[in-house]
Amino acid sequence: MRLERQQDQEYRRRFMSMLRQQGQERRRRAQTQTRDGSIASRGKRKGSPCQRDDGSQVADLDEIPSLPEHIWQHIHSLMPMRDAARAACVSRSFLYSWRSHPNLNFSKDTFGLIENACQKDESGRFFYIKVDHILKKHSGIGVKKLKLQIDSDYSAKDSRYLNKWLQKAVTPGIEELTLIFAPFGANYNFPCSLLLNGSGDSIRCLHLGCCSFRPKVTLGFRSLIRLHLCFVRTTGDALGFVLSHSLALERLELRCCYGIVYLKVPRLLQHLNYLEVSGCIDLRVIDNEAPNISSFSYGGYSAVQLSLGKTLQMEGSVSYARTEPPSSMPNLEALALNSQTERAHAPMLQSKFLRLRHLSIALTAANYDYLSLVSFFDAAPSLETFDLNVLQLYMKNVSVFEDPADLRHMQGLQHHNLRSVKITGFSSAKSLIELTCHVLRSVMSLECLTLEAPQSGFRCSHPYNKSGKCSSLDRYLVMEGHRGVMAIRRYIEPMVPSTVKLHVLEPCSCHAVELQMSCLS
Amino acid sequence: MAAADSCDGISTSGGGWEKTVTLVSSDDARFEVREAAASLSQTVRRMIRAGGDGGIPLPKVDARTLSTVLEYCNKHAAVPAPAPESSSAEAAAVDLEWFDKELMHVDLATLCSLIRAADYLEVAGLLDLTCKTVADMIKSKTAEEIRQMFGIQNDFTPEEEEQLSRENAGVFE
Repeated sequence: MRLERQQDQEYRRRFMSMLRQQGQERRRRAQTQTRDGSIASRGKRKGSPCQRDDGSQVADLDEIPSLPEHIWQHIHSLMPMRDAARAACVSRSFLYSWRSHPNLNFSKDTFGLIENACQKDESGRFFYIKVDHILKKHSGIGVKKLKLQIDSDYSAKDSRYLNKWLQKAVTPGIEELTLIFAPFGANYNFPCSLLLNGSGDSIRCLHLGCCSFRPKVTLGFRSLIRLHLCFVRTTGDALGFVLSHSLALERLELRCCYGIVYLKVPRLLQHLNYLEVSGCIDLRVIDNEAPNISSFSYGGYSAVQLSLGKTLQMEGSVSYARTEPPSSMPNLEALALNSQTERAHAPMLQSKFLRLRHLSIALTAANYDYLSLVSFFDAAPSLETFDLNVLQLYMKNVSVFEDPADLRHMQGLQHHNLRSVKITGFSSAKSLIELTCHVLRSVMSLECLTLEAPQSGFRCSHPYNKSGKCSSLDRYLVMEGHRGVMAIRRYIEPMVPSTVKLHVLEPCSCHAVELQMSCLS
Repeated sequence: MAAADSCDGISTSGGGWEKTVTLVSSDDARFEVREAAASLSQTVRRMIRAGGDGGIPLPKVDARTLSTVLEYCNKHAAVPAPAPESSSAEAAAVDLEWFDKELMHVDLATLCSLIRAADYLEVAGLLDLTCKTVADMIKSKTAEEIRQMFGIQNDFTPEEEEQLSRENAGVFE
């Protein structure tokens, strides 16, 4: 900290003396150095400043108390880039503050670059020139946040610019670094060695998008709290170099990353409470040992073996759990699972999620036995809300109308905390009716049961929907939705106790016309 | 605005025992404040730790400014530790935001006094709030308008000024 301040003072001294030398005819300077280092000039102000001899200040409506330079720097840092640049023309002190602006945010919006197809190349070129100009003049000292969003097509020759900029601005003291390439497939390789200059110690948030991140040596991010990689090429080993030494990490988000096959989240990450992994196509195994995760979200296309701290092991998202004592992940409070796999057997959860309060499951797998989800209720005695999405384009489950006999009753524990159950994409699948009946029978604390037939993605009731009509929905889904509502009326409604509020959302009437038309044709 | 004298810093208020401290402004007004509220100021917190009798002197803040600072501290210290995702925490946050917004409805001189006081007293939240208010005030203004608002002298030569505006125009327009 002290070093930073010394550097800053040294830079300030050099900067000011440089300006002094440059000016030929200079106006008479009327800077008054006050006790606290305030140097805002008061040339135009009449009367005495609002500072008493003893240093106290008096609020006088006619006088604006002068603000110390470090305050102006703080105010300056809170202004958007364009406004901060304009304010640099106020005085030398303001210019100095602009040249060490701590929050650098560069995107095409920063410069008001409007892009259309034929100007794309040009606007990209302008972007590089403009950022380069600003960073060339910047002192490189005291940058806390750097955000670079490259919207133009990236080519290998641009890496020269990028490396230079990062070299200048990523210095010890940096707290947030965001580097996002909007065009997919940009093959910029993030220069990890950059963070070995001490900036790795101060960085709190690292967000990379659409580039490669392949550290080859251990990177100790002492202060890293959030790591967010999106469409990033990396490997499990490369991530291991970061994760094994980022002991302050609280949030890890990996979205649509390539090249990670085996993700190991080490036990050392005691502060990690949020883990999100979605759309990582190469991923086969998630092995989590971090003990204090309270929110875990997984979404994927392929079968992945999830090992959540030996508490729960699942294959294909929601299918299998190994018997292990509940030890390593007792603090999980929210769990979201999204499965698109074809597996269809019951999870037998011997493990317990003693603190799990919110569970959300999306099952688009065909022919899933929904009644088997009852084991989740038994495993999570503190559960308060349960959301289930069972939307399937073509339902392959047996409909309750095809086989109405012998609805199964599952032997399960009574549940005393679950208040709200919501099932969307409701169909007439027999096992779904069985699950819903089980909820009504065994959840003593239930207050609200919401059952929604399939709805279109952009509904007529949406405030931005100007057409007043729902976007179209597959005919089969609408028909199955109606069958689902019929099943609710016949099998569910009679069982609903007076203490439970039942909300049923039928397919929207917008689809009635579509249905009639398709029946006629 | 309480002006009681409290040497031991303990008093009953709101039906219970609560630790209070006495702060003394530059114009000798005395403010009795809950310690939890006063401790939002790192400067005061250090002085409380150092101990001493007869109130904590704050020679750089006048009574009028101090009363506004304490209004902020009292409100912000009263907010219980946030329980995430609960509706009451959300309502409290909205209420606080509204309070902050109302507090910033002051003239420029008062605002600047508040900034200086928040800086001296090291009340980080209030410093951010007041600085953000000034940043929002000046962000659409020209350099000349900003100079006039705050009585800042232009210490550039006309050539330097012109070169700077040319540079900015080249980059941002």
